Amino acid sequence: MTRRKFIPLAGAAVVGTYAGMKLQRPPKLPDGPRADSAVSIMRARTYSDDLVSRMLEGLRQCGLDPRGKRVLLKPNLVEFDPTTVINTDAAVIAAAVEVFHKLGASEVRIGEGPGHRRDTLDMADDARYRSVIPHFEEIFTDLNRDDVSPIRGFGHESEFYFANTVLAADLIVSLAKMKTHHWAGATLSMKNFFGLVPGSVYGWPKNKLHYIGIPESIAALNRRFRNTFAIVDGIVGMEGNGPIQGTPKPAGVLVMGSDLVAVDATCCRIMGIDPEKVDYLRMTADIGHVHAGRIEQRGETIASVQTNFALIDEYKDLRLRTTI
Amino acid sequence: MGGLYLESRLGFLRATQNTDGGWGYFPGKQSWFEPTTYAVLALHGAPDSDGACERAWKLVRSWQMPDGSSRPGALVQGGTWVTAHAVTLACVRGVYDAQVRRGVDWMLEVVGADHGLVTRAFSYFHLLKTKLDVSHEGWPWRAGNSSWIEPTSHTLVALKKVAGRYQSAELDRRVREGEALVLSRRCSDGGWNCGNPNVLNFELPSYPETTGLALLGLQGRGHTELNSPLQVARRFRMETKSSLAKAWLTIALRNYGDSLEPPAEQARTSSDVMLAALEALSHPQGNFALFGTGAKA
Repeated sequence: MTRRKFIPLAGAAVVGTYAGMKLQRPPKLPDGPRADSAVSIMRARTYSDDLVSRMLEGLRQCGLDPRGKRVLLKPNLVEFDPTTVINTDAAVIAAAVEVFHKLGASEVRIGEGPGHRRDTLDMADDARYRSVIPHFEEIFTDLNRDDVSPIRGFGHESEFYFANTVLAADLIVSLAKMKTHHWAGATLSMKNFFGLVPGSVYGWPKNKLHYIGIPESIAALNRRFRNTFAIVDGIVGMEGNGPIQGTPKPAGVLVMGSDLVAVDATCCRIMGIDPEKVDYLRMTADIGHVHAGRIEQRGETIASVQTNFALIDEYKDLRLRTTI
Repeated sequence: MGGLYLESRLGFLRATQNTDGGWGYFPGKQSWFEPTTYAVLALHGAPDSDGACERAWKLVRSWQMPDGSSRPGALVQGGTWVTAHAVTLACVRGVYDAQVRRGVDWMLEVVGADHGLVTRAFSYFHLLKTKLDVSHEGWPWRAGNSSWIEPTSHTLVALKKVAGRYQSAELDRRVREGEALVLSRRCSDGGWNCGNPNVLNFELPSYPETTGLALLGLQGRGHTELNSPLQVARRFRMETKSSLAKAWLTIALRNYGDSLEPPAEQARTSSDVMLAALEALSHPQGNFALFGTGAKA
C-alpha cells in the first residue's frame, strides 16, 4: 500500500473510532464512598470581604481539623495577564495562610509548579503574591525546582517523581480558581494538582501528563494524594476560553470541602456545567461524590449562587440542562 | 574582571557548589544537570574555577545512561533533554569521545511524538485541537512526548556546536528539521511560547524567555527570516520584568551581535542558582558566546 493511500485510510479509521467513542453511551456513575460529603459554599462578593471569617466558617462546616499538621497550600498560578483573572487571588491565599495558622497547623507553606512559565517568582510578583502575602518568599517553594523523590505506582506508570515538599505535607489544600478549561472543560480543585508535578523532571509543559491523558492524570493525582482539602476561589472566576484567555466572571463564592470530587461537582453546578459529563469527574466518581443527592450542601444553596459560565463551542454539550 | 555584577554572581556560584560537584536550583539542594550546566558555563575560564568545573564535569559525565542520554538530576532515573547540555558542555571543554558520540546518537534518534503517524493522521484530517505543523521533527523534554521549543532549541545549539566533529547527513537533516519546527511554531505576535501558538483557533501569546531560547536555536539562519523575531526579542528585553527572561534574551541578542548596555553594577540578590549563572553569562564580559553557534542575522 502506498503512503498516499495509507494516510487517508488510517485517518478514516481514526475518525471512525473517534466517532464511535463519542456516540457511546457513558456508563452509569458509581455511587462513590459510603458516607455523604459536606461541601460549603460561602458568599464573598469581593476580595476585600472578610475572607478569613468565611474560610473559618467553611472549614468548620466541613469538619476540618488541621491542628499539628504540615499544610501545603497549592494555589493556581499559571500565567499573568493584567486584563483577566488567571490565578488564585492573592487575598484568598493570604487568608488561607492566616486561617491554617489560627487553626493550629504546625507549618503552613505555599507551593506551586506552573505548567508553562519558568520564572515562577516573577509571576508571583505580577500576581501580587509577594506584596500581599506576608513573608511570601520564606514560605514559598517552586515545586518545579524542588528536590524530588520517586513514588511507586502512578496511573499506569511504575514510578513517578514528586517534589519533596509535596510528599512531606500532611495536608494539601487546593486553592484553585473557578475556571473553564479548553482541554478539560473546567479546571477546579482537582486539575490544580497538575502543579504538584515537577517541571525539572517532566518539562514545561508537563507533557507526560498529556500523554497519560488529562482526565486520567487528574484522576491519578487525586488517587495518589488523599489527605487533601479544597478552597475554590470563585469570587471572580473565568469563563469562555479558559484557563488563560477567558473573561472574568464574578460568581461571588468560595467553595470548600474535603471531598474534592464533590467540591468540583458543586463548582460545576454553580457554573452551569453538568458534572456528570466532565470526564475526570466520571473517572473519580468512586473516590468522591458527583451525585447531588450524596453531597450535603452547607452555607449557601447552589441555586442561590448559580450563574452560567460561558462555554466555548467545544464544550457547549457540557451545559447543565436540569434546574437546580 | 566584570565588576560587582559579574563577580558577585560568580562568587555565589563558587560558594554554592555541592560536595558531589553539582549545583542545585537553590543552595544546599540536590544537584541537577540544568543549573550545573549554566554554572559551569558561567565559571568556564574564570579565575580559581578550574577545579569546580572539573568536579562538575566528572559528575555530569557519570549521569550518562547506557543509551547515551543523560539523566536530569542526581536522584532521577531516565535520560531527558539535558543530554543536549551534556554535548554542549563537552564541546566547550573540547571533549569529543565515544561517550559524547553516544549522546549525539541519542539526540539524533529521539523525535517528538507529535511527529508520529497517528498525530500526523489527526492533523491531516484537521482533528487536532491545535494548529501545530507536525510535519517536522523536533525534540521533547522526555522521549515519547511531543516536541517543544526549549528542548528543541537547546538540542539545536548542541548539534550545531558538535557538527564539525561528528558531521553526518542525518545530523544536518535533523538540524534543518528542528529549525523548521521552531520557525513553524512562532506565535502570531512574533515571538515564541513553549511551543503551542494556537489552541482551538485561539491564538496564544509568546513569552520573552522562550523567544530568547528559540533565537539561540536558530543561529545561522538568514536575516530575512529572523529580522522580525529579533525586533520582538529586543522589545521583550526592554519590557520584561523577569530576570530570567532578560538573561536569556540578552544571551541570545549578544550572540546575534547586538551591542547591549551592561547591567547596573548591582550585587546578586536572589538565591536562585540558575538565574545567577544565566545573569553572569549574559554580562558583556560573561561567557554568553559559549551558547554561540555562528549567528548570521
